[in-house]
Amino acid sequence: MSILSLLDIAKSGITAQRLALEVTSENITNVNTPGYSKQTTVFTTATVSQERGFPLGNGVRVAEIQRAYDDFLQMQLKSENTTKGWSDTVLASMTRAEQLFNEFTTDGLGKSLQDFFSAWQDLTANPQGQPERQAILARGQQLADQFKRVNSYLNDIRTEANQSLEGVTADVNDKLRKIASLNEQIKQIEVQGARANELRDQRDLAVRQLAEKVGITYMEQTDGTLNVSLSLGQPLVLGKDAAVLSLQPDAANSGFYRIYSTAPGGKTAVDISSIVGGPGNGQGEMGGTLQVRDSLVNGFLADLDELAYTLATEVNAVHSSGFGLTGSTGLDFFSTPATMAGYSGLGGISVAISNSNDIAAANADPSVGGTGNNTNAKDIASLFDKILPLSGGNMTLGGFYNSLVGKVGVSVQNAERSATLSEGVLKQLDNLRESQSGVSLDEELANLIKYQKAFEGAAKLINTGTEMMDVILGLVR
Amino acid sequence: MRVTQNTTANLVLNSLQTIRRRTEELEQQAATGVKINAPGDDPVTAQQILHMKSLMAAGDQYSRNISNGISWLSMTEAAMDEMGNVLTRAKELTVQMANATSDAKARESGMNEIVQLRNQLIQLGNTQLNGRYVFGGFKNDTPPFDSTGAFNGTDDSITIEIDRGAFVPINYSGGELLRGGTPPGSTGTDIIGVFDNLITALGANDQTAVQAELPNLEDALSQVLSTRTDLGARMNRLEGQKNVIEEMKFSLTKVLSDKQDVDFMQVISDLTKQQTAFEAAIAASGKISQISLLDYLS
Repeated sequence: MSILSLLDIAKSGITAQRLALEVTSENITNVNTPGYSKQTTVFTTATVSQERGFPLGNGVRVAEIQRAYDDFLQMQLKSENTTKGWSDTVLASMTRAEQLFNEFTTDGLGKSLQDFFSAWQDLTANPQGQPERQAILARGQQLADQFKRVNSYLNDIRTEANQSLEGVTADVNDKLRKIASLNEQIKQIEVQGARANELRDQRDLAVRQLAEKVGITYMEQTDGTLNVSLSLGQPLVLGKDAAVLSLQPDAANSGFYRIYSTAPGGKTAVDISSIVGGPGNGQGEMGGTLQVRDSLVNGFLADLDELAYTLATEVNAVHSSGFGLTGSTGLDFFSTPATMAGYSGLGGISVAISNSNDIAAANADPSVGGTGNNTNAKDIASLFDKILPLSGGNMTLGGFYNSLVGKVGVSVQNAERSATLSEGVLKQLDNLRESQSGVSLDEELANLIKYQKAFEGAAKLINTGTEMMDVILGLVR
Repeated sequence: MRVTQNTTANLVLNSLQTIRRRTEELEQQAATGVKINAPGDDPVTAQQILHMKSLMAAGDQYSRNISNGISWLSMTEAAMDEMGNVLTRAKELTVQMANATSDAKARESGMNEIVQLRNQLIQLGNTQLNGRYVFGGFKNDTPPFDSTGAFNGTDDSITIEIDRGAFVPINYSGGELLRGGTPPGSTGTDIIGVFDNLITALGANDQTAVQAELPNLEDALSQVLSTRTDLGARMNRLEGQKNVIEEMKFSLTKVLSDKQDVDFMQVISDLTKQQTAFEAAIAASGKISQISLLDYLS
């Protein structure tokens, strides 16, 4: 063994420790970088050689700069992010719908419904009374207005959900492009045998963010690239190619968007709306938006239409069989649209009677049988308590409305529970990830000192080597 | 488990946020006084509350209907009471006139009084409440009796709803009460007809004919009386139902308050607790995040 090999060992020490210090400083500076995973320098002894019959090392070598990473955790984070994206989206919309049906702090449709029938009760007590008749016209109008108000607000929620698809789609496209381009860079670096740790961190983060928007699965290829597809199987990223999502108005669904995807490297767009919003696909923001737009709010609207339809049909049937003060008969109280869908909306039910004398309180011509005839008014008033065959079972109009309020409440509660749950799980997973991949400043500072000391030691070795050299060179002189 | 600065920071953030969220909930409860502010807070209870509220509103409406009914029946009862007096007076007079001691002159003055009593009876048959003739049936905006005593009203019952599906008539037909049905006397005693007969008999000074009307007057009195008894029963039913509604509303209010109202003591004490927890969390996090190896490195 020569003095020169001592210097070589010292040199390997200096370089290795300096690299470790660099990795440590990279860790320290990225302590707050989202998605960053802690990196560790893995030392190994350099090749061993025989020195006068003894095996002797040749210094230190950096075997690997290891990224603290758990594949399983990443997968859990991905699916939990999808759940969170879904529940946050649904919760936001349902909370808004909830306000419409909030009969606890303000009066709404339910109160108007009751007021309308109360007005008929009052008419029963005084069938000739003009104030009572005027009240019925006003309450009827109020009721129709409430139907329209709730309907148009629910439609607003649907429209906004539809519009938010534009932003979500743009986000998804952005993430897909990012993942594809990172794929390419990672492949380029790793083909040379290096590890693209930081780029992998960035790609993992992008995958988690994508998962929040839409349900996905992914699979890493041997070349280090990541192939991403929808949970139910439609490719989104293949190597360096990304799919492009686009929106097309659907005439069959109020001009709302359908979502199309042009597969990576492909040319024709495929309709993926039913996959993205399908129950088997992790839903994410996109699925949640579709669900709000096409099923949840639609369900409320259908109930609202049914309520308006049943109300108008029942009232009209009794009303048209009765007689007004001046003998008019066969008149509908509400004017109605052609089909049940639309009864509660614009162009839906409205009060058809304009002359208060035409309100049919009597079941026989009052000009013959007397204007005190209240039989028909009584029959209409008791419609409020009549058990009717409705889609939710046999119940009263008020009961049906209450069950609609209940439905809204349940969907809010569902979304809320799911949001709280996924938030809690995400926190735990984030904690786990942090405990695994997070940077601990204390740890890094300790490492800093450790590597610094090792560096100093190696430097000292060079010093020693130099001194030894000097001694030998002195002999020559 | 490894704990990093970020773990600590996240923990602090999360716990502060949890406390804040809970505080906000409590503050909302304290401000509104109700536990359930929206259907999503508790859908099942929310539905129950709505149902109870609608029951209470319906109860209010039934109470109003009952009040209306009670005023009609009270007015009717007052009229019937007076009719009873008229009939009693007519009977006294007729007993006198049926006596052999009464002469033609006395009978003539008796006849005059009977004519007056007959008019009074017709007038009572035309009793009004708020411009409506209580004995007119459905034709209650024109006087049911004309000066000849003919009944122009209808025999229809005006019914009101006093509970879900429970209807009570609040009127009596003047025709049945004073004319004994249509045609007069077909189902009961034609009281006006009895008076007409009396007037004819007295005018003719016909003692036998006057005497013949005595049992008829007796029947007339019992006809009015039995109607009054029936009216009393209806009144009882209305009053009873009114009490039932009041009691229902009272117990509903209690249940509703139980389900909906906030226990202020509880909320305020919880709020204070949250306040303390918040301060403690802030103080602790301040302490924890201060300590780092960096402080000990020169």
